[in-house]
Amino acid sequence: MYKKFCLLFVALILASSLMVGCQPGQSSQPIKIGLQGPMTGDYAYEGKGFENAVRLLVDQTNEAGGILGRQVELVVEDDAGDPTQSALVAQRLVDAKVAAVIGAYNSTATEPASEIYNEAGVLHVTPSSTAVRLTEKGFPLFFRVCFLDDRQGLFAAKFMKEVMGAQNVGILHDNSTYAQGLAEETKKYAEENGLTVGFYDAINPDDQDFTPILTRIKSANLDTIYFTGYHSQAGLLLKQAKDLQMDIKWVTGNASNNPVMVEIAGPAAAMGTFITTEPLPKDLNYPEAKKFVEDYKAKYGEEPASVWTIMAAEAFNVIRYAMEQNKTTDSKTLAEYMHKSMKNVNGLTGPIIGFDEKGDRLGTIHVAYVIDDKGNFVLNDKQPSQ
Amino acid sequence: MQLIQQLINGITIGSFYALVALGYTMVYGVLKMINFAHGDLFMWGAYLGLASLTFIVGIFTNGSPWMIIPVVIIVALTVALAGVLVERVAYRPLRTAGRLAPIISALGVAFILESLARNVFGASWKTYPTGVVPTGGIQITPEVRVSTMQLSVLVVSFILMAGLYLFIQRTRTGTAMRAVSQDPGVSRLMGIDVNQIISRVFLIGPGLGGIAGLIVALYYGSFDFTLGWTFGLKAFIAAILGGIGNIPGAMIGGMLLGVIETLASGYISPQWKDVIAYVILIIILVFRPTGILGERVAEKV
Repeated sequence: MYKKFCLLFVALILASSLMVGCQPGQSSQPIKIGLQGPMTGDYAYEGKGFENAVRLLVDQTNEAGGILGRQVELVVEDDAGDPTQSALVAQRLVDAKVAAVIGAYNSTATEPASEIYNEAGVLHVTPSSTAVRLTEKGFPLFFRVCFLDDRQGLFAAKFMKEVMGAQNVGILHDNSTYAQGLAEETKKYAEENGLTVGFYDAINPDDQDFTPILTRIKSANLDTIYFTGYHSQAGLLLKQAKDLQMDIKWVTGNASNNPVMVEIAGPAAAMGTFITTEPLPKDLNYPEAKKFVEDYKAKYGEEPASVWTIMAAEAFNVIRYAMEQNKTTDSKTLAEYMHKSMKNVNGLTGPIIGFDEKGDRLGTIHVAYVIDDKGNFVLNDKQPSQ
Repeated sequence: MQLIQQLINGITIGSFYALVALGYTMVYGVLKMINFAHGDLFMWGAYLGLASLTFIVGIFTNGSPWMIIPVVIIVALTVALAGVLVERVAYRPLRTAGRLAPIISALGVAFILESLARNVFGASWKTYPTGVVPTGGIQITPEVRVSTMQLSVLVVSFILMAGLYLFIQRTRTGTAMRAVSQDPGVSRLMGIDVNQIISRVFLIGPGLGGIAGLIVALYYGSFDFTLGWTFGLKAFIAAILGGIGNIPGAMIGGMLLGVIETLASGYISPQWKDVIAYVILIIILVFRPTGILGERVAEKV
């Protein structure tokens, strides 16, 4: 009896292995795409947007037959926006043998991760990390679908000078990789464009109370201040500036392109604040973008509120497009194609003209928004010359 | 002129530190242990305040500053009961277990409370409904301005601190608390129910902490679950600076820390304020290891 069982068992194992063997090569295996982002912590809102956007596209891709006939499996990891955590989850995604990774949200978290992915030979596309130095390291497998801080810095300087007529401006950052980078670029271009930078300092993002620095800004006789940090602190700054009755014009960078800023500040304090950023989802006039926003609304019952949600979708589309064009999931081949031959593809955020040799997306799409009396982000009617 | 405005800013922040520091110092006074969970009980005050305020505003459909009063009562009672529960479950069984075990237990409670808040309410920033806090302010000179909210914070903190001081100095329970803090053994021999007094300390300390959480959240209008960590640590330091175990010391320590931080970030840079604040702190502790108002504890024979 025991022998019979053993035989049956062996036969079963053989049969099952044969069945696997019947399927053609590796295509039985799904293509794993990694996604790392802040699912918890200060930027959890953005991380959730990443996941929603990419999951929507993965589901649509799988319904349409997958990529190269293989199903796509999304592996999501939470880096909490923290560099230490980011290195850990990057290693986890590498161990899970993902073909490509989308992420992270903030530059501080993307920096350590990009190193790990490049060493492991995994294609890495960030939807939203705009610090200039990320692509200065010569990682051949690192790309971004967003636009660089130096272009936003130039845009911000021109906007303050040409549209707002500013003369004496202040620049405030929060010491994060991204915000400091943008602040430095803006300072450089502001001075090149004949603006006086009468104030340049950083806040501590762990703080809740910014009245001391605001009091100093108030007595520095600036007409405009550009804050390059994130939306939670931007909201607190605007609220506390209003309580101190400061009559200074606020401009914030694209990390404040988020309704949470208005929620924290209150519409009264946020009104009149300008934001230099990529266009909001609702202002993207491309058919691909409109379809994506509609599908997103149908699936999640709300509009993608942040442009980074769209950029995450863009990152997935770029990876899918490259895989389909090259009929492979090999990261090196894909990266080479993206550097050299990927030109003028229709994207969600406008045409993807191409990527340069460092992995940066060519062109720019920055615009300025203003917050109206109800707290909505409205495209400003005057834009600087491009 | 800027200096006066900065001092007003500093005293406002300082009064938050002082209110939270009271909780650390009261518990240390009677138990000689550091209640690390206090910062997170304080943070729960902010969440419970928001939950009950949203509920009340929901009934009356629009906000008015008077709605704060029932909210204060709900928050103070709930957080006070939570404080008593924490003491009963996590500290009392360890009271004879040496110094290390209660500290670890307190840290454990702190992590539990923080994770609980994150999982129950979510990790995103929470904002208080508008219309419940007074707006406006008083312009003293063209450059100096006190907002109504700052003024209310100062007045409320002063009333709470003075009330606590009088309670400790003038009532029987207060006297018993001071007795227990000097010598629990002898207090018991004198007929004081030490366990009950400790329970009351855990009623008052966290109750005040909960109110402080509510005030901080109302003042800034928004917060997240890390509030307990950022304010708790500063308040703990303020308690040490003033002399831990000493109630007026906690008030002085809190105010001093708030003013030093504010002047450092206002005149030098926010990036340097912690460096400057802690250098001053170390200097003070080198010359007065027991803190500004801390008494030298005589060696028991």
